[in-house]
Amino acid sequence: MKKILNLIISFILSYINISRKVKLNSLFFFFGTILVFASSFGQENSISSPGNKNSGDLLALVIKKINTPSLFVANSNTIISDDQQRSITGIITDSQGEPLPGVNIIEKGTINGAVSDISGRFSINVASGNSILVFSFVGYTPQEITVGTQTSINITLEESAVGLDEVVVIGYGTQTKRLVSGSITSIDQKTFNTGVQRTAADMLQGKVAGLVITTSTGDVTSQQSMRLRGTASLTGSSEPFVVIDGVPGLSMNSVAAQDIESISVLKDASAAAIYGSRSASGVILITTKKGKSNQFTADYNGYLALDVVSNKPDVLTADEWREYVKANGMSWETFDQWDANTDWFGEILRTGITQNHDFSFSGGGATNNYRISVSFLSQEGVAKDNYQDRLNVRFSVNQKALNDRLSVSLIGSITQRDYQPNNSSNFILAYNMLPVYPVKYADGTWFDSTDYDQGNPLRNMTYNYDIRKRNLNYFNLKADLDITKHLSVGLNAYKQRQSTDRSRYYDSETQQGRTEGGVALRSFSNDDTQLIELTANYAIKLNNNDISVLAGYSYEDNYGQSSTAQNRSFVTNLFGANNLSAGENMQVGDVSSNADMNRLLSYFGRVNYSFKERYIVSAALRRDGSSKFGKNNKWGTFPSVSLAWRIIDEPFMQNIGILNDLKLRAGYGVSGNQDGLSPYQSLQLYGSSGTYYDNGAWHTAYSVNQNANPNLQWESTAMSNVGVDFSILGSRLGGTVEYYNKITSNLLYRYQVPVPPYLYSSMIANVGKMQNKGIEVSLTGDIIRTNDLRWTASINAAHNENKITRLSNEEFVTSAIKTGSVFVRGGSSNSTHIIEEGKQVGQFYGYLCTGIDASGLYIYDDMIDGVPGLTINDYTYIGKAQPKLTYGIDNSITYKDIELSFFWRGVYGNDLLNFSRLTYATTQWLPGANVLNEGLTNGLKTSPIYNSWYIEKGSFLRLENVNLAYTFHPDLLGINRVRVYFTGHNLLLLTKYVGVDPELSMNGLDPGIEGRNYYPKSRTYLFGINVSF
Amino acid sequence: MKKIIIYLTSVILLISVGCTEDVLNEEVYSTLPVDSYGNTEVEVNSLIAPIYTGLRSANNPITIAETCSDMAIAPTRKGGDWWDGGQYKDNRFGIWTAITNNTGSMYRTFMSRVAACNQILYMIENSPGITDKVPYLSQVRAARAFWYYELIDYYGNVPIVTDFTDLSKPVTKTRAEVYAFVMDELNDIKDVIRSDVSPSSYGKYTKGAVYTILAKMYLNALVWNPAGGAKWQECIDACNVVMGLDYSLTTIWNDNFAIFNENCPEHILTAINSPSARMGIISFTLHYLDYKALGTTRRGNNGIAAMPDYVRQFDLDDKRRGDDYSHKPGSFLIGPMIDPATGTTIITAHGRPLIHTIDITMIYGIDAEGWGQTEQEDGARCFKWPFENGVSHMQNDCAIFRLADIYLMKAECLVRLGQDNTEATSLVNEIRKRAFDDPAKLKTSVTLSDIYLERRLELAWESYTRQDQIRFGTFLDPIPGWRGAIDSHYLLFPIPQTSIDANPELIQNPGY
Repeated sequence: MKKILNLIISFILSYINISRKVKLNSLFFFFGTILVFASSFGQENSISSPGNKNSGDLLALVIKKINTPSLFVANSNTIISDDQQRSITGIITDSQGEPLPGVNIIEKGTINGAVSDISGRFSINVASGNSILVFSFVGYTPQEITVGTQTSINITLEESAVGLDEVVVIGYGTQTKRLVSGSITSIDQKTFNTGVQRTAADMLQGKVAGLVITTSTGDVTSQQSMRLRGTASLTGSSEPFVVIDGVPGLSMNSVAAQDIESISVLKDASAAAIYGSRSASGVILITTKKGKSNQFTADYNGYLALDVVSNKPDVLTADEWREYVKANGMSWETFDQWDANTDWFGEILRTGITQNHDFSFSGGGATNNYRISVSFLSQEGVAKDNYQDRLNVRFSVNQKALNDRLSVSLIGSITQRDYQPNNSSNFILAYNMLPVYPVKYADGTWFDSTDYDQGNPLRNMTYNYDIRKRNLNYFNLKADLDITKHLSVGLNAYKQRQSTDRSRYYDSETQQGRTEGGVALRSFSNDDTQLIELTANYAIKLNNNDISVLAGYSYEDNYGQSSTAQNRSFVTNLFGANNLSAGENMQVGDVSSNADMNRLLSYFGRVNYSFKERYIVSAALRRDGSSKFGKNNKWGTFPSVSLAWRIIDEPFMQNIGILNDLKLRAGYGVSGNQDGLSPYQSLQLYGSSGTYYDNGAWHTAYSVNQNANPNLQWESTAMSNVGVDFSILGSRLGGTVEYYNKITSNLLYRYQVPVPPYLYSSMIANVGKMQNKGIEVSLTGDIIRTNDLRWTASINAAHNENKITRLSNEEFVTSAIKTGSVFVRGGSSNSTHIIEEGKQVGQFYGYLCTGIDASGLYIYDDMIDGVPGLTINDYTYIGKAQPKLTYGIDNSITYKDIELSFFWRGVYGNDLLNFSRLTYATTQWLPGANVLNEGLTNGLKTSPIYNSWYIEKGSFLRLENVNLAYTFHPDLLGINRVRVYFTGHNLLLLTKYVGVDPELSMNGLDPGIEGRNYYPKSRTYLFGINVSF
Repeated sequence: MKKIIIYLTSVILLISVGCTEDVLNEEVYSTLPVDSYGNTEVEVNSLIAPIYTGLRSANNPITIAETCSDMAIAPTRKGGDWWDGGQYKDNRFGIWTAITNNTGSMYRTFMSRVAACNQILYMIENSPGITDKVPYLSQVRAARAFWYYELIDYYGNVPIVTDFTDLSKPVTKTRAEVYAFVMDELNDIKDVIRSDVSPSSYGKYTKGAVYTILAKMYLNALVWNPAGGAKWQECIDACNVVMGLDYSLTTIWNDNFAIFNENCPEHILTAINSPSARMGIISFTLHYLDYKALGTTRRGNNGIAAMPDYVRQFDLDDKRRGDDYSHKPGSFLIGPMIDPATGTTIITAHGRPLIHTIDITMIYGIDAEGWGQTEQEDGARCFKWPFENGVSHMQNDCAIFRLADIYLMKAECLVRLGQDNTEATSLVNEIRKRAFDDPAKLKTSVTLSDIYLERRLELAWESYTRQDQIRFGTFLDPIPGWRGAIDSHYLLFPIPQTSIDANPELIQNPGY
């Protein structure tokens, strides 16, 4: 053992002297070495282990070790005395009398343990009558029983409805729910959404109060946007920070939904601030499934889904066009020559087919375990050009050594994704193309139109492509070593590479390629991330005092490079994007490449203290240094503290029968957001700036490419949070109510600066302030709880209020920022939203229109400024894109082996801009371009102009999914369990919004707009089967 | 065991401390740190180049100088195209304000060019690699003087900034102060800057360009610096210097604007375009379907057209007008647009034949102020710079200054001074000779109004209409059928509100 430690130390010491660039590589080598040693020791150990006979022993320990932050160390020196040894057997049941398989039984203070079998039976040898057996199972209250003289122990485990002893994953560790003092929502397989699941976001949508996940398009390759407790940035995204198996800063896309065991959402700063300068928008911790020792399982899960277009724009049909045009004496002869009757949206949309297959198998020996999974998803969007194929292979291996004091694990994942995002400009063409235009002429050649915003969208989709081939692979090596009973250290080394190869071709005959005679593009990008983390944990229990201390260091290095080449004017379309040199018109800027980097260096620590598990304190501190910060602000400090009081455990509460649990929590913390900062923004640099002509030749010009700001730093969010967790009526009804107040300062925004002296008219700076405050409620109740029938309902609701409180300081001044531009003909230099002190992000701003008058003109309120006549001073506040309330209602009913669940998701109290209606609900474009049916009846006779007439109520309630499943246990071919299920997704939408769908992008500073290139969503019908061996 | 703890603790500390501050410095790969580039002649040339690439935005005033004068209009088309917040209505009706988009963005463009010049001057002054700094400095100062000349013309009272390192908010100077500053700058460099007229000086700031700016400053001195009095003779002197250099009028007028017009002998200062750095007028002016008739592949956005009365001043025999049917390049594209595939007139999406009329009629949705929408096809389009067949870009170089302008400036000053009319007449006739086949169209004598008209015929779309109208006192006059007389404060454009918001030290021009 000493030999190994010496080796480790010399290795680490030598690593320190190596230059930084090779450090990470050497660390991987170092870990590899440890892994080899560890596995050989593991084998040794497994031979000599006294508990070897009982396969369940180490399983229990492994699970315990994974779950316990303080790395509880079993005393391996315990000697089992033979003379008093006895065998105990028994049956474990739940409160309904059903047998409970998989319960862990441990002889307290030893590594001796067992697991109950499928019929709830167990058998364990104990040392003496003084031995205490601990029975534990996730979701049930653990019990301790002193053996005494018994040889048979039958016990009933009570379900803990609020799961107080469930282990919750927190930043850099785990905690039992009982001791959690921050605002954390944890959900797992029991509550995940069903249906087509691409990423964790699909599983979470609508499930967590305050976490708003928006699906703003039907594009199957796009990611949903996520907002936790409101928008808190003007420049960067307000997406939560994602941590997968302890690795910070990953993308949701990097793990297949099927591999996810549980998800913790850290909502307040006291829980999230341990992740420092990137955690201001909350943190989502994803834990993946792992293998279990001595328990081989294999699973297959497959499904087939049909996606049907749920709604599409109501444009004129050919007959409606003909009727209107002729009735109004318009010229039609040139347009209507082909006797066609085309539904252009129908032509470019389809029923999409999705199939998904997951295989996984897992198992292990006494000192190791593994899990390997393969997941294949093939998905077609309802737009004909939209698809993705994704293959994900993931493995995790865990090996213990040194009498279980060393645990080394390796997780690897490879994702190959081939996909084509929808080219949404085809939807614009579909709006504009006349229904009397054919898709093809009678002779089979393509029809096309070159008029404004016109062209054959099906021809585009048939001949043009934009395919991305993306590889994402990563490997994470972890080692945890228990140095003493109380002290453990951990090392974590991570390496990731993501590369994307993009091929795009616009055929010279199509609308998209004809101006340039065919355009081919290839681009390649490669992004590397490397991470090292060192942690040390110290945990001790002194009488009623539990103390644990965490200290850590983290170093992250990101490097990205990309290149792009394109060429134009191809004699033939045969090459597509595969022979760029065949093009005849390569222009300056058609070839480019670049590279960038950023690094993050962090120190962090946390102290958890609890007295009698009744008074709980947690305090954390993180210090982050980022290369992206300006030289005057390289380091940020992020403190947090939280308190919890388990009132229910107070003596004076013991006689209040109705209450089963009551906990009060309060927390305060400061966290950061640096998402709005790109690398190099604080520096003054020369970048290439086009070409210049000198004496017959062209050369590259360079110019300073930005206004440098050496003071740049993170956005800083201070959040206070108060919450109550309770459970009543025999734990049949439980819930959480929380209030938070979140103040973000140093908001990054591009401010207007005078030119000269500055070179450019805007400059990114930390100036503004924004507030989000709100209330979240979640309740779960068992409506029916009988042996055969069980009905559980849960509801979550969140109210958030967003307000910009400051936009100026001494140096940078702005009164209001007008923003948002969605293109309507003649509408450039219009803005749709305003960013202003005292208003929310998403404040619509424009003329107040009260209707349309008899002559077809808008009726405006022109007295907003107190003076008759419509001027820009009559702009006013005409709607708010952010909802007053978001909510989800979940029902799950099980009757024997049948499960039925249905889940509603809704948004209330927001306004949307129906921009498609603004653009096309008019007769202005007739006869040469198509319009919405509404245009024939709304009486408008002037050019469409943005005003409040197009702002609509956005409230909706969606039947997100309905799931019916049946489980049975065929005694056949080693099959343990078969589950078949039907899922319907987006079956019903209740809304007064007249556009295609009221769930719209909430990103950026101009949220809540349905653009005219909106990609309609689908309704999904899914059949799946799940087989376990 | 204790030993191990000590070992490990020290290891963790060492790793932590081992890589601290230096890893937080950014490494650049595809950009250049300002302090490590610009030491050789080649490098310095690439850093000076933005003063030339920036010249391309000298084209931008086309939409302002012409749409705010009586030369051009961007009418709102049926359906709303080119409404764009009402900026072109503001231009046409003479009601622009501090929030009118296009007059404001032109100010921001000019000022950003000044800022870029200051940064380049700072770089040259501090570059150890440049021993003889004068040729470099004089080019950049000429460029800065050019942008200030534009600023005096359009905005008058603007801040004078020369020090790149001074980040304080600059204050507004009077038009007279700015005038004096530009004169000082020009006088400093006029005889040290390169004077050659050669392929290597094509598109560069040279003695010819500096003297042309000087001539413009003198020509407009009564407007821009009335206290200094008229400078007609000084203008003639400056013109004479330019005429003494190796420039010459092209025999064929169109050669000035041709697709391949590099080294055109008439160009004094030129914005040089290429297939990548293109001229933008094509997409502003052409109808969506004009491309079919003209053979280019770029579809226009149907914007800017010539004012009917401006087109009608042209003699039908004037080659500079362009004719109605053959679509030979002249100043205007007029008449029916024929689809070569069918031989018939193209039909627009509004079901109308695509015939570019000279008349422009607002017929739909007339608002309280009388602005409305016109048919898509109304109006003569800009056809001065021909479009290339089969491609979508325009690589025609665009003259900022050309010799014909110098001829007319000199002629104007001669007449204003009441000097010998023969020379003035012969200068004007040199210009007219190219425009007419018939010698009877030449002048026997010229008046001021002859020269005013000749400038309008020769320089349509070349962004001089506003400057000339102000100098000849016609800018505020009514434009029959479009607007009445306007107040004299419109002689200057307003400082855009966004710039005042960013710098409260700025003073808005009077009347806004």
